[in-house]
Amino acid sequence: MQIPPAISRRESLFGLGASLGASALSTLLRADESSSAAAPLSPKAGHFPAQAKAKSVIFLMMEGGPSHLDTFDPKSKLKELHLNEFQRGGKEKSAMESGTRYYVESPFKFRRAGQSGADMAENWEHLAKVADEICFYRGCQGESVNHPTALYHMNTGNRFGGDPAIGAWMTYGLGSENQNLPGFIVLPELSYPQGGPANWSNGFLPAHYQGTALRSTGSPILDLSPPVGITREHQRRNLDLLKQLNDRHLEQSQQQDDLTARMASYELAFRMQMQVPGILDVGQETKQTQDAYGLGTAPTDKFGRKCLLARRLVERGVRFVQLYAGTWDSHDYIARNHSAQVRNVDQPIGALIADLKQRGLLDSTLIVWCGEFGRSPDNGIRGGVAYGRDHNPHGMTVWLAGGGVKAGHTIGATDETGAKAVEVVHPIRDLHVTLLRLLGLDDNQLTYYHAGRFKQLSQFGGKVIEELIA
Amino acid sequence: MLPASRLCLCLLCVLSLAVAGEMPCSADDSESFSKGEVLFALRVKPLLQQKCFACHGGDSKKIEAALDLTSRAGMLKGGEGYGAALVPGKAVESRLYESVTRENDDLQMPPKENDRLTDRQTKAVRDWIDAGAPWPKDDRVAAIVASKADGVSVATSGGLSEDWTNRRYKSEDLWAWQPIRDPELPRSDGPTDGGGPGHQIDDFIEQKLRSADTGLAVAPRADRTSLIRRATYDLIGLPPTPHEVRAFAEDTLPDREAFARVIDRLLASPHYGEQWGRHWLDVVRYADSAGFANDFERPNTWRYRDYVVRSFNNDKPYDQFVKEQLAGDEIDPENPEMLIAVGFLRMGPWEQTGMSVARVTRQQFLDDVTDAVGQVFLSNPLQCCRCHDHKFDPIPTRDYYRIQACFATTQFADRDAAFLDTENKAGFGLERDRLTERNDRYGKILKAISAATRDAELAWFKERDLPYRTRAEAIQKKAPAEQTPPSRLGLTPRDNGIERIGRKYRGRHLWELSRYEPVAFSVYSGSTPVLGNVDSPIAMPKDRMKSGELEETAILAGGDTFSPTLAVTPGVLSAVPDSNDSLEATSWNSIAKQPAGRRTGLANWIADKNNPLTVRSIVNRVWQGHFGRGLVATSNNFGATGRKPTHPELLDWLCVRFVEGGWSIKTLHRHIMTTDAYARASTHPDMKRVREKDPNLELLAVFRTRRLAAEEIRDAMLAASGELNRDIGGIPIRPDMNLEAALQPRQIMGTYSPAYQPSPLPEQRNRRTIYALKLRGQRDPFLETFNQPGSDKSCERRETSTVTPQVFAMLNGEEVNDRALAMAKRLISEEQREDRRIDVAFRLCFGRSPTKEETALCLKHWREMTARHRTLKFERQDPPGTVTRSAVDELTGEQFEFTEKLEVYDSYIPDLKPWDVDAETRGLAEVCHVLLNSNEFLTVP
Repeated sequence: MQIPPAISRRESLFGLGASLGASALSTLLRADESSSAAAPLSPKAGHFPAQAKAKSVIFLMMEGGPSHLDTFDPKSKLKELHLNEFQRGGKEKSAMESGTRYYVESPFKFRRAGQSGADMAENWEHLAKVADEICFYRGCQGESVNHPTALYHMNTGNRFGGDPAIGAWMTYGLGSENQNLPGFIVLPELSYPQGGPANWSNGFLPAHYQGTALRSTGSPILDLSPPVGITREHQRRNLDLLKQLNDRHLEQSQQQDDLTARMASYELAFRMQMQVPGILDVGQETKQTQDAYGLGTAPTDKFGRKCLLARRLVERGVRFVQLYAGTWDSHDYIARNHSAQVRNVDQPIGALIADLKQRGLLDSTLIVWCGEFGRSPDNGIRGGVAYGRDHNPHGMTVWLAGGGVKAGHTIGATDETGAKAVEVVHPIRDLHVTLLRLLGLDDNQLTYYHAGRFKQLSQFGGKVIEELIA
Repeated sequence: MLPASRLCLCLLCVLSLAVAGEMPCSADDSESFSKGEVLFALRVKPLLQQKCFACHGGDSKKIEAALDLTSRAGMLKGGEGYGAALVPGKAVESRLYESVTRENDDLQMPPKENDRLTDRQTKAVRDWIDAGAPWPKDDRVAAIVASKADGVSVATSGGLSEDWTNRRYKSEDLWAWQPIRDPELPRSDGPTDGGGPGHQIDDFIEQKLRSADTGLAVAPRADRTSLIRRATYDLIGLPPTPHEVRAFAEDTLPDREAFARVIDRLLASPHYGEQWGRHWLDVVRYADSAGFANDFERPNTWRYRDYVVRSFNNDKPYDQFVKEQLAGDEIDPENPEMLIAVGFLRMGPWEQTGMSVARVTRQQFLDDVTDAVGQVFLSNPLQCCRCHDHKFDPIPTRDYYRIQACFATTQFADRDAAFLDTENKAGFGLERDRLTERNDRYGKILKAISAATRDAELAWFKERDLPYRTRAEAIQKKAPAEQTPPSRLGLTPRDNGIERIGRKYRGRHLWELSRYEPVAFSVYSGSTPVLGNVDSPIAMPKDRMKSGELEETAILAGGDTFSPTLAVTPGVLSAVPDSNDSLEATSWNSIAKQPAGRRTGLANWIADKNNPLTVRSIVNRVWQGHFGRGLVATSNNFGATGRKPTHPELLDWLCVRFVEGGWSIKTLHRHIMTTDAYARASTHPDMKRVREKDPNLELLAVFRTRRLAAEEIRDAMLAASGELNRDIGGIPIRPDMNLEAALQPRQIMGTYSPAYQPSPLPEQRNRRTIYALKLRGQRDPFLETFNQPGSDKSCERRETSTVTPQVFAMLNGEEVNDRALAMAKRLISEEQREDRRIDVAFRLCFGRSPTKEETALCLKHWREMTARHRTLKFERQDPPGTVTRSAVDELTGEQFEFTEKLEVYDSYIPDLKPWDVDAETRGLAEVCHVLLNSNEFLTVP
């Protein structure tokens, strides 16, 4: 086994700085060029560059746990079983599972969409138009029944958090095509998901791979703008004085590379604060495009903006964009909840896929849609009207579209009530390994030495779900 | 000194082979064992076990490609679609050999690149196959291993397989498990013991430097300004005051004596415990909240934080410190301090919600505490052994569960523990009033909502002419369904959402009110109660043994709590010298099974001078705190995959002195800091050569500079601005946080968390950062961006990364701008002359006076910025009194808005703001702001 020389992250940054000579530095700071090979975010070839179509990812995280049974995995059996009693027990029972439980049928009507005849609830009107671009996967299984642990699992491979998110791993493996933007960007709901920013953490990877959450209101990046009253020119003067003081200090210093990198980061930040707001401004898109994503219309505006922004970011070379929508958590009144949630995201997602395709970007972009778990076919009955569903990590629907996926297919199956996956069953780590593979990365080679061992996204290694790959 | 007779029993025969290279077979044995057999027994079989059997062996259901490599027959049969894996005598025709060479892109085994075979291993496979691929029976393999294997075997409590139990280790990988030996002192050139030749630590370092043969000379001694800055940051985490710098510079004593006095002064400072307590809190993952879905505050953990600070300040012997944290409640249950100390056991993230399966969350705690004990005290992560015997280290999974059994009777409780005189109880009243005010507010809201429901229900019954008044009554009287109104009748989505918020907030705040009560976040020993949803303090049971079942511990298959296999009894790591109770049970290595006292037994074993892991662990951590990197770089992992010590003799020598000195950490600091190595300059006359010959600075020829840690940056800015309140201890304070981050909505189960509100008064907020409320789910973005670790995993050493969000925080962040402004005001009020103001600014920030050129630059900048500021007008910005959330009601999926009152801002006094001062002060603040942003400010020289 190849053990790298004893380096800490701090020292590896010295390595970064070591190549930041005057010429490399200017490259790093040039707006639209990829930077020196030693910069942590500079683009890198994956392990299977020839096989990988996808270059970037748009990850649609439906937080709260959308019900597969009410979206993409219809179960006629539940009509028969509707309101029949249901038993679960033993030491694996949680407090929530106590009391009498009943099977609940789906309040949604289903149809087959596209030439591929994909199962979809009827309220996915826009998604139905691009159904043939999608690969539905019904075999994925998680392990957690609680939101934060399940979210951590889906996002980082570790139920207890603290590990790098998949976006961090991908950015670590492939770098990013735009050095003026973070390589891994997150567009959370106004309210952060359960478990908070640990869902887009860099974990033990260097901080460059941390997901940057762009806030939907206020300053998109914290402290991106100078304080009120302070102009750019004013700030430039301060930076010039800072540089003079730093230059003098640098002459006498040991860790020159680190200090040089810090000075470079000031210049980079100074440029970013000017450029980022423009990049984030979806108002620069045509009216037609804005309309297609549902901007300016009540239920779709919010997620439409995120989807449009995601396209703009991917276009500009950002490696991984994760969008949150929710919450889909619907222990009660699932008809109302899922109707509203689908209304919020259906048109934006449909537009995103169509737009990417039309721009020739769909092949190089991998779209992932999932929640942290699926939902149960049964529920406590809540006064006889409030039909809902509880959390279910054993059955869910994940769908993929774009670069390299087996579009127009439905892979795997859940059992007759949708309680658990029974065909092409894979744990989340295999899904992760598959996503890496679609980007040309090998989970077993994408490792980082930390706390005495090589760590990887799948934790212990996993299998590519070949069925999902074209 | 450790008795030399305590030789390691665990290290059995060390059979170093005379024959090097490919063929480990000597002439004498060639009659009995063939070359192929020996290769198989010593090389190929262990390789197959380690790299292949997981997928190609054992459980026939899980076997990959139907290829079974656990027998010769299996190899000959081969796998699906591949044919035979083995062609005896012909390695080049064997798929097995082909796959391990990785030359065929489509057939590369093992699949993980990390697991790829070394050339030597690949050749062993080749030679074995070419030798006819003999597969001797197990007893014959054992005989070969017994007579020929190199490496060292280690007696343990036993692995899950014979092969693991009998496996051999490279002796260098076992360094940490060896008894500590008092090494011979290196040759010394001088007689003194005041640093330099004759100071034994320097002699060890000199010896290593000489033997590395790099031709590197050591750097000269650092100047006094750098030294006092270095020592002050190291020991108390703050910059030295200009007065302290001057006093040291002007001290007429010789360098070493003068510096020794500085060290003694700093060690006696009450701020010493804050800095070194912080290091400890990193390792134990301190936080003021529980994490996960609810991220409930842990109202009483601050007492543990202060216990740690006190312990360092009192130079509590480390062995005692360890015992108190592991078993204080058992050792001295009447002493509140001891009930506080065991809060350590509960430091990991943990929660139990209505969705949680009690047994699963219980196991989560057990796994967490077992691994934490390994990392924190023994510098060996144990989590690998949850599912299997350790792949690299002599830790059988049995030992993992034996240690876990020590905690099987450990139960959570928030216990009565009277406040100590030494605890800071300031500010209880105000905070309690605030929470009470909030609870009253939400109580009123809830009341109004339940009144609305009541009215609606009444109307509903009336409309239908039914005899009931409330839904509850109808249900109680068993009314038919059609005569029962739906729940939450008459409530709008907003009502539903606000009802939930009110209910959740009251629950949280009620729990938080126990912060001001004499309660310890603690444990007791007893049987395991079945906990339901944990959303309030956990009371002590009346009878510790009758609440729930007495837990039995067993090895869990795959770490799954529902798959117990072999039962185990409490025990210790059996590979530690003299710790294998199956060989020789002693009072030290055996732990009684009765429910109480298990942790005491474990603590006594850990905190013993004969436990080499424990002693090396803490000595290495202290070294790391001074040199930025331990003698072992991976201070939480001394195993085979961790780093090896750079100066092993020095480490052991320090360990012996440490134990001799009564486990005194302050003595250890003094010892280390009085060396010449610690006092070396961080610049070297030949830096190029240093980089080339010693890129990681392991030879200590030059001192390693470091960037300030997140907390040090904030504290140093407050010190420079004169705003720092240096009070020690007490309930968590809430500093100003970037307002957008503070008001960022975040979800706790089903709704929002209450908004983060700072403490109302500057003197409450502007305290040292160690006292800042540390919520797992809401981290201060400023501290986070400067690499303050999260509290989910033990942090063995801070990272230092350079990323642009740091720049945004430093350049644009209100916090840093406020510090610059306060600093400017301070300078103007303290000094009359403009150049003197610049001089003091430099001395506050860098510990030195500016050069003439720097003074001129800064004065010019000040003047220009003042002129600019005269044209600017700053409008007063009042903090928000409320925050409005837009949310989706979980019950209905409908959107609603909720306005939370931010009551702190009723009595909030902001720090100095731009509209409070004139243009001249703001102009000087620009200069101060630049100084605070400079590399020199952020670097410990």
